[in-house]
Amino acid sequence: MRHRARRKVNQFILHCILLLGGALMVAPFVWMVLSSFKPSLEVISINFSFFPRRWTLANYIRVFREVSLGRAYINSLLVASCVTLSVLFSATAAGYLFSKLRFRGRDQLFILTLASVMIPPHIVLVPLYTLMNRLQWINTYQGLMFPFLMSAFGIFLMRQFIRGIPNDLVEAARIDGASDFRIYWSVILPLVRSALAVLGILTFLWNYDEFLWPLVVVHDNRMMTIPLILGHFTQAEAKFPGESMAACTLVVVPVLVVYAFFQTQFVKGISMTGLKG
Amino acid sequence: MVAKRRVFNTYIILVASIVFIYYVLVCVWPFAFNLYLSFRKTDLLTEDKFIGLGNFRFLWKDPIFWRSLRNNIFYLAMMVPLGIVTSLFAAALIYRTSGIMRKVYTALYFAPVVTSMAAASLIWQLLYYPKIGLFARILSSLFRLDPNSLTFLQNPTTALLCIIIMDVWKDSGLRTVIFLAGMDEIPDSIFESARIEGASEWRQFFSLTVPLLRPQLIFVGAIYSINAIRLFVPVYMMTGNPPGGPANSTKVLAIQMYQEAFYGLRFGYGATISMVIFALLVGLVILELRSFEQRWEY
Repeated sequence: MRHRARRKVNQFILHCILLLGGALMVAPFVWMVLSSFKPSLEVISINFSFFPRRWTLANYIRVFREVSLGRAYINSLLVASCVTLSVLFSATAAGYLFSKLRFRGRDQLFILTLASVMIPPHIVLVPLYTLMNRLQWINTYQGLMFPFLMSAFGIFLMRQFIRGIPNDLVEAARIDGASDFRIYWSVILPLVRSALAVLGILTFLWNYDEFLWPLVVVHDNRMMTIPLILGHFTQAEAKFPGESMAACTLVVVPVLVVYAFFQTQFVKGISMTGLKG
Repeated sequence: MVAKRRVFNTYIILVASIVFIYYVLVCVWPFAFNLYLSFRKTDLLTEDKFIGLGNFRFLWKDPIFWRSLRNNIFYLAMMVPLGIVTSLFAAALIYRTSGIMRKVYTALYFAPVVTSMAAASLIWQLLYYPKIGLFARILSSLFRLDPNSLTFLQNPTTALLCIIIMDVWKDSGLRTVIFLAGMDEIPDSIFESARIEGASEWRQFFSLTVPLLRPQLIFVGAIYSINAIRLFVPVYMMTGNPPGGPANSTKVLAIQMYQEAFYGLRFGYGATISMVIFALLVGLVILELRSFEQRWEY
């Protein structure tokens, strides 16, 4: 009996610590949302209050009027979606190539793609920038997407998954007269759907969050992505904290809502690839 | 392997050449050009001349470069252990829960992971507001500190540490989930026999759980040390204009590279600094592969 009572107390303490920790994890978001409804002068003031004394929508109105946040949303969603689609198709195509087909130079090509992990776009910014300049892709969607259209991580991941597909299945399709394109489309793609979901979520998130490359390749306000727009607020922080938090809320809350719906897939997917990466 | 040896296969030729051309364009050529630039003094418009090892000699004597490198190493040395210890602790606690509450905790701890780094930096920049910000208030009332001394990001001695703490918060959920997945894979029978032999909970944690999590620990360590070397966004977002201040106390290699190239138009020198980042990345990857190869026996 005493043993069980002690266990109950332990469990209670455990949940208390975890709830406190969880509250600390999301507290900055709560503070962000509350601050976005305060008049800017109240966010940073000597008379501190956690909740707004006077609720106002002025920050949101000003964000939409002064910063082209709507346009930035479209840019970000468009770039991240196109990149994600491209990564999904190319990673599966190359994964099939590297796991089930045999040709001369295959291993060398695979090593080349893996080596690219050590040369991310962020360390060859200058050459990529000159390339974009020569192609006249500065301030364009192609320019924003170009360095991320294929992902070595994605190719590696899909290669591992496709390896697990029995050779007999591919062989049977071949005997039925299917070409490799056909096998890729009707045999491989349907079988790797769960892995594609994971890779898609990750690629989308990473590209939605990409900062340094857009900073280099985009100067025009109309082509800016969400993170760059937020970058505008970093210097104006002292003067416009309310607007800054309103912009953050508009950026963060949609992602959190999507995350809340797909929570299990998110977590499972990320931890699964995390271990294989 | 399935494919019969055929002389001509459109799929192989098409996909292989697309992959090859893309990686030459986005990786091989940029790297070669970057190396070429690092031996030149150029603004890519009017001036362009070969200066041999001039950039590297300048780098060797550049105090800002050494400061940046030191900051990167400090970041790595603080961020990786702090991140691992906090997440290991959280994972060990969540491991003891089950059912719906476990999902709730995972959701709460994971929320910052899915938010964009740019937004997270802005929020924390405001939380760190000197003297009258939220953190300044909480710390001064908890520990009876003088709020005027709490300047966080504007104080050269604490600025980098403030960014590290933000970064630990931002991704702790991801590390926790990775550790949790590792803990779930450990068979219960191992803990069972330890319990029968009378090992305490602490003893079990340190002598069983932690050693068995070795692959996850190495993976997390590798990912976050690479992130520490590539660090850019939080420094750019949180340290004002020009980023890296106050007094270069948060300047890191990627920031310096960006500034030299795209503010100062010293593209040659910028390329030289990115060669250093590259060398550090290669070193870390080799180290990581080595530790993965060492087999753990138990």
